[in-house]
Parts: sequence; structure tokens; C-alpha cells
Amino acid sequence: MDRRLFLQIVGAGGFAATSIACPKFFGKGRRAAEPPVPLGIPTTCELCPNKCSVLASVRKGRIHKLNPNPENPKSRNMLCARGNAAIQQVYDPDRLKQPLIRAGARGEGKWKPVSWDEAFDFAAKKLAETKAKHGPEGTLWSSTEGFQEVFFKNLGLAFGSPNILRHPSLCLASVNLAYSMTFGTVPSFDLQNAKYVIMAGANRFESIITPDTMDLIGGVMERKAKFVYLDPRFTVTASKADEWYPIKPGTDMAFILAMIHVIIREDRCDKAFLDQWTLGFDRLVEHVLPYTPEFAEAETGIPAREITRIAREFADAGHRAVFYAGRRSSWYQNDFQMRRAQAILNTIVGNWDREGGMVPNRKVAKGEFMFLPWDDPKAGRVDEVEKNFPLASAKDGVYLQTRENVLKGAPYPVKAWMIYKQDPLNAVPDQGKTLKMMEGMDFIGVVDIAMSDTAWYADVVFPESHYLERTDPIEVMPGIWPAAVLRQQVIKPIHDTLPMLDIAQGLARRLGLADYFDYTIDQWIEAEARELPVENGLEYMKKHGVVAFSEPKYGTTRNAAYRFVTKSGKIEIFSERLAEAGHDPLPVYASPAQPPSGKFRMILGRKATITHAALAGLPWLHEQVPENDLWINQDQATRLGIRTGDLVQVTSTAGTVRIKARATEEIRPDCVFMLHGFGKRSPWLKLVHNVGAADAVLLETAWDKVSGNAAMHETFVNVVKV
Amino acid sequence: MAKNPVKRYAMVLDSRKCIDCKACIVACKAENDVPLGVFRNRINAEHGGAYPRLRASFDPEQCHHCDNPSCVRVCPTGASFQREDGIVQVREADCIGCKYCMIACPFDARFFNEETKVVDKCTFCSHRVDRGELPACVETCPSKVRTFGDLNDSGSALHALLESRRYRVLKPQTGNGPQLYYLL
Repeated sequence: MDRRLFLQIVGAGGFAATSIACPKFFGKGRRAAEPPVPLGIPTTCELCPNKCSVLASVRKGRIHKLNPNPENPKSRNMLCARGNAAIQQVYDPDRLKQPLIRAGARGEGKWKPVSWDEAFDFAAKKLAETKAKHGPEGTLWSSTEGFQEVFFKNLGLAFGSPNILRHPSLCLASVNLAYSMTFGTVPSFDLQNAKYVIMAGANRFESIITPDTMDLIGGVMERKAKFVYLDPRFTVTASKADEWYPIKPGTDMAFILAMIHVIIREDRCDKAFLDQWTLGFDRLVEHVLPYTPEFAEAETGIPAREITRIAREFADAGHRAVFYAGRRSSWYQNDFQMRRAQAILNTIVGNWDREGGMVPNRKVAKGEFMFLPWDDPKAGRVDEVEKNFPLASAKDGVYLQTRENVLKGAPYPVKAWMIYKQDPLNAVPDQGKTLKMMEGMDFIGVVDIAMSDTAWYADVVFPESHYLERTDPIEVMPGIWPAAVLRQQVIKPIHDTLPMLDIAQGLARRLGLADYFDYTIDQWIEAEARELPVENGLEYMKKHGVVAFSEPKYGTTRNAAYRFVTKSGKIEIFSERLAEAGHDPLPVYASPAQPPSGKFRMILGRKATITHAALAGLPWLHEQVPENDLWINQDQATRLGIRTGDLVQVTSTAGTVRIKARATEEIRPDCVFMLHGFGKRSPWLKLVHNVGAADAVLLETAWDKVSGNAAMHETFVNVVKV
Repeated sequence: MAKNPVKRYAMVLDSRKCIDCKACIVACKAENDVPLGVFRNRINAEHGGAYPRLRASFDPEQCHHCDNPSCVRVCPTGASFQREDGIVQVREADCIGCKYCMIACPFDARFFNEETKVVDKCTFCSHRVDRGELPACVETCPSKVRTFGDLNDSGSALHALLESRRYRVLKPQTGNGPQLYYLL
């Protein structure tokens, strides 16, 4: 009795059958050749970066329920708690309902509701003033990912600013850079078919990524795969693993290098693969000589014999063994090099582009809307990324370096800050510094759906329509199961809100940039849909919400003619480009600093209901976790006289918070942990305002040396009972 | 076995796959307008051991839609009743809020709904099932812990699981005949 069968019955009874545009795109295991007619309006979730396909059922003009859309193989026919709770963002009585201009001092909370014209006029005037005084480079445009981010970014570019600051350097920049430097691309991991999976910290059963989470739990629990997990905390992921090791924080690289050492020493590499496709294996052989399992035992706390056994088992699983890359913020200042070590370990067992291994992403083709191009900015970036992080993406920038330079006013002053869909006060380590950066701004404009902490300190707040109230560009989701998805309007906006495109147009008209935004969202998606691999692409997308490849394809890069997008055209175990940029061409391990006596390393992580700072306050999610607390090892807590529920004061060099303690066995004695998303400053976030504590207050400024990615686990804190 | 024309709905749960993500709980709330603070379904978490030898398990639970439901037996007005297909429900108009059923339920699956002023519980989303859809918790589950179906349909996935796998029910000694089957 599965859903598809139900749908067929319903479809046959209640709806005319749809014509088949292209049968090869339909889901695996689908019983009929024809796709079912959806039981709701197909659209695409926006609560996290997975962009799952959903069907929105609407009753009497009100969104009643969001259900998974089974047509998208990437989203694995599911919708998580966050996705289900999206309805509460729409009907949140405290959401932003009309544009607001600050009436009192910044952060005082006095707001004047204004018309869109007034808001646009005000912001355009401020932006023009900044441009006149400091040039267009005096403005900073920062955003997190989203389907309409392109319009925000384009407004900044058309305005002439080089300072377009995107989210990767707070997220996965180090991972992406490390795999790109090795393979010329960032692969996915075929967890559906892997037989041996090692994961370090990525906590995939609480930090949900589609389809990885679903494939891994299926594979592990059906006993198709062995799963080894390293994490200082006993997470849900740890509880499901075949083996869990509470590794000493910051020493993952030692573990990986020792595995490489064992596999090479015992001649368990995929020699044929290494000979044909890779560069620098001979240098790796020399390089890992000192990294013995005994060395790694001293660093990681994991017994040498276990490391040796795991290395053997890993190599025996061959191309169906993966050391999973993970996808989250950097942890340490060596994050890039640790990820490189992972990439190299994967390489030597020959899992590249094989079933059950690392697979280069495929894409679904789509068209592009052609808009009027603008001139390149005249000034360089304020983060001087070319100088500071020559290998990092100059298009995305480096967040922490940007903040450092803006605070210094060098190489030039930045005095206006436009922010889209992002809450830097909570997303960026060291909230105090970010506040200081905001204080130095002549103008701050924020586009969001709710009064975030950052919006609370803005001068003008533009309320964006919720994802269920707007139509967005078609987005291609690369992967082993690639998809192109459409987010289409489910209900008309219930308040005086606008999509980002309309906000960009409103500002562009007043800034003399109207020509660059002379189009509608319909024209934009029509152009994109034209090249989708289905007939009547737009109509198809509106009806189904997704076009996807349901069958993986392996081995496309394993042919003699294929040239990897690296300097040598091969997989680069040894990287000359890294050496040229002044970095280690092979990953060199250095023992990380450990917390001084009496202090703890603060570590971060997620829960399935709270991944992003904005989610902790949604009532259905909030009732699952009403307040965050500080996990502290039971023995340490006893030593410090702390019991669960006691209020403790936590202090780093960046700041101090008060939070309730949770004395638990489920964390290493040298670490403490807290969830993200609490202790908000904005009173409009009622459920989490001054409830618990914000991690960003405590986190110190540290970054990965190669990518500039914020390093989130480099903060030591002191904990005392209040 | 011929297909029995009378349906008997039941649910099989593979708790090992449960990642405690709460999707089932939130989906249920949205689908059934369940007020804040009360729940039609839950995930029973058990944590044990001492660092570093630890364990945790997660068992989703809701109304067991028993074969011989004690809640129905004690109901003085007949508001609690069992459908022909086995689904146990509360007829709101007939519920006087005496809460006998809540005490009689061995699984603590019922609660008093302060908004509707009647006893509330999981209905296996009978309104969806009657339309040919799956219960909201089943459909939304990321790790596919749940299999819902007709015990009398020998061709169902549920039937196949119960034929091929070992399972248990909770509190069999109550004689209630619970219909949530937990795979071992």
C-alpha cells in the first residue's frame, strides 16, 4: 500500500491523465509510466539548503499542509519537521507585514511603518549618498543562499560594488575548495550504494542533507553498509553507527593520515587507478611515513589497533568505501588541509566516480535569462581576497576578513550594508564585533521575512514575501540524482510584502539602474524553462515542480579523453598550485592547541528541528526544544558543582552568556556544546528572545588558513555556576 | 490468501531507522490542527550507559488502534468507537470529557484537547486514508520508519514485513491487541 498506488487510483478516478513529456525522468520504482497528478500545488521548500520538493494543499485560501512530492528523487519523498513547520512562518502573527523605517536609536525598537515608496526612497537616498561620498565600493551586499539571491546580488553588482559577500565562507567553502583543488570539482557521495562509510562530525542524522541522510540510515540499518563515526559528542548519528569514537577535537587529520599510512604500507591501494588518473602518489608515500597509527593514537585518543583495522576494512571495501566529506562550517584553522586529507584517502582506494563511491555531480540543463550586463567594479574587494586567500572564491568573498577590514576602515571605508535573508549577528562568530561593524555603518537595510536580530539593528526593513507566497527562478540542484526545481506561488501574499526581485526593481528605479532589471519573474523562468530536458518545460514545471534524473550514472569521467579541471588535468594528490600559493602541497599535520586547565573547547552542532538560527522560534519546532542548554560532561559538572538545570556563566575572550547546564555522559570531558538559534536580541522573536544563549556571542574570530572559512571550534570557554 | 474485502489497518515501525527528527510529530500537528503542548504521537527516547560506552534508542508511538480497545469499552457514551477497518476514534459530538478512556488506555495515547473540549488522539489520519492517502506521519517520515497498510491485504508491504521479519507489540499482556508492530 504505497503512496504511488494510492495516487494512481485517485488519479484515475479524479483527474485526466497527463501526457508524458519524457519518461526517462520518472522516479525509480514508479509502477506506472505516467507521473501522478499532484494532490497539491508543487513547489520547493526554503527552510534549509536542501530545497525539497513539496506539494502544498490549500483549503479556503489557507495553506493547510505541506506534503512531500515523490517526483523528486533527490528529496527521497519526505518532508522533515522544519519543512512541515514552514506554514507557521506564513501565519506568524509577529512576521514582518509592511516596510519599516527606524524611528529611535539603532536597536531601540522604535519603528515607523511606511509605504514601499517611502522605504525605497529612503534606502535609495542613503545608498546614493554613500556612493557619492565613498564610491560604490563603500557599500557591502551580503546574503545567504536562496533562489532570489541572484536579484539581490545583481543589484549590488549593477550598483558597482565589488563587495558581494555570500555565505560559503561561513559554511562549506573549505570543503568545496579542498575537493576542487584535488578533483577539479566537488563530488557527491553515493551513500545509497556504499559498503563502508566513515564520517567525522557531520552528524548526518541530525543535520539532515538529502539524499545523504536517508540513504545512510537505510544502508546502515538494512545492514548494507558498515558505518564508523567520529564525534566528540554522542549524537543521534553516533547512536546509529556500528562504531563511534569520541575523537579528540581537531585531530581528524591525524586519523586520516594514519589510515593512508596503513593502506599504503600494506599495499592495499588501488594501484591501477592511481597510475592512470592521479598525480603525486609517490610523494604521498614518503609524506605519510611518519603518520603511523601509534602517532595517531597519541593525537586522537583512538587506539592504534582500531585505526589499523578500520584502514584495512576501508581499503577492503575498495571503491564502495567512502570517507564522507561533510558539509558544514569549518571547525579548525587547518580545515582545508583536513578535507584534502579526506579527498586523498578516498582517492587511494579508487572510489572516484564509481557506484558506492565519490561521484562527480551531474546537472539538469536549463536556460538562462539574458539581462543587460553592467561594468565590472573599479575597486577591488574590501576583504582583499586575492591577496589574503588567493585560492578562495573572489565572487563569494570571505566574511570574517571583510568584517576585520571594515572595522579597520582599510583599504577603504565601507559605510552602507545591505543584507538579504541573512542574520549576521547569529550566523557569524563574535556577535560583539558584528555589532561594532553595524554601529560604524551610515546605513543598514535588511530584507527578511521576520524581525531577525540583524533586522532589529537596521535602519530600514524590507519585508520579503514568504516562499509559499512567491514564484522564484528555476534552480538546478546538482548531484547523483540531479534535479531542476521550481518554487511557485501557492497563495497570494497575505501582508504588504514583496519578492526580492520586486524589491531590487524598486531600488533600481530610484538608483538609475532600472534597465538592468527590466523583466518579470515570468519572463525569467520562461527563459530558464526553455532548455529543460522536457517538452513544454514551463507547463511541466508548474504541474510537477521538478524535473529530475532518477538513475545515477557512474564512470563518465573514467575515460581516457577526460581531463580533470586541475592544473595537471589529473587528480592532484600533490598540488603544485597549493605550493605556489604558499600552502602545504600535501596535508601536514600539526597538533592543535588544547584548552588550558579549567577551560573547555566549545563545539557546535545541529538538531533535526533547528539547523539555522531562524528556526528555533517556530512554535512547532520550539515546543520540541524550548531552550538551549550547555552540555557538559557529567564528571566535569560534578567537579564544578554543576547540576542539570543550574544556571552557568560561560565566558570566552569574545563574550559572556548565561545558560542552563545539562550534565551529561554524552560529551567528551574537554568540550562543551550548545545549540544555535537561541538567546535572540529581537523582541519580535518572542519564543527565543532572551531565552537560552547565542553561540555567536562566545565564538572567537578564527579562520581556515587556505579558504578563509570561519573556524567554529577554536574557542575555549570557562564555565562557572552562577 | 484471497484479499479480504474488510480492511484492517495497522502500522509497522522499524525503530532502528528512527533518527528522532520529529517530522512525524510536526506533520501530525499540521495535518490535524493539534494544539501546542499536546501531541497525538511521540518519540520515546531512551539514553543509557556511561561515557564513552553509550547507547540511545528512539521508538515512535501513538494510538495502537487495538483490536480489543479498552478505551472503547469504558466509554460511557459510545463516543470512543472502533471503525470496521480497525481505526479507533472519538466521535466529538458524543464525548462528554469524562476522561475514563484516557485512564483506560495502557499506552497513554490520549489527551484532553482544551480547544475542542473533547478527548483527542491519533486517528491514523482516517480522513486521509479514506481519500486513498497515507497518514501524515507515514508520508513525511524522512528515514521511512513507518509502513502503513491493510493487514488483510496479503499483497501489502505491511503484510510482507510481518511475514518476513520478527516483531513485537507493546504490552501484549493487556489483552488489548495493539496494532503497532515494532520490528526487531
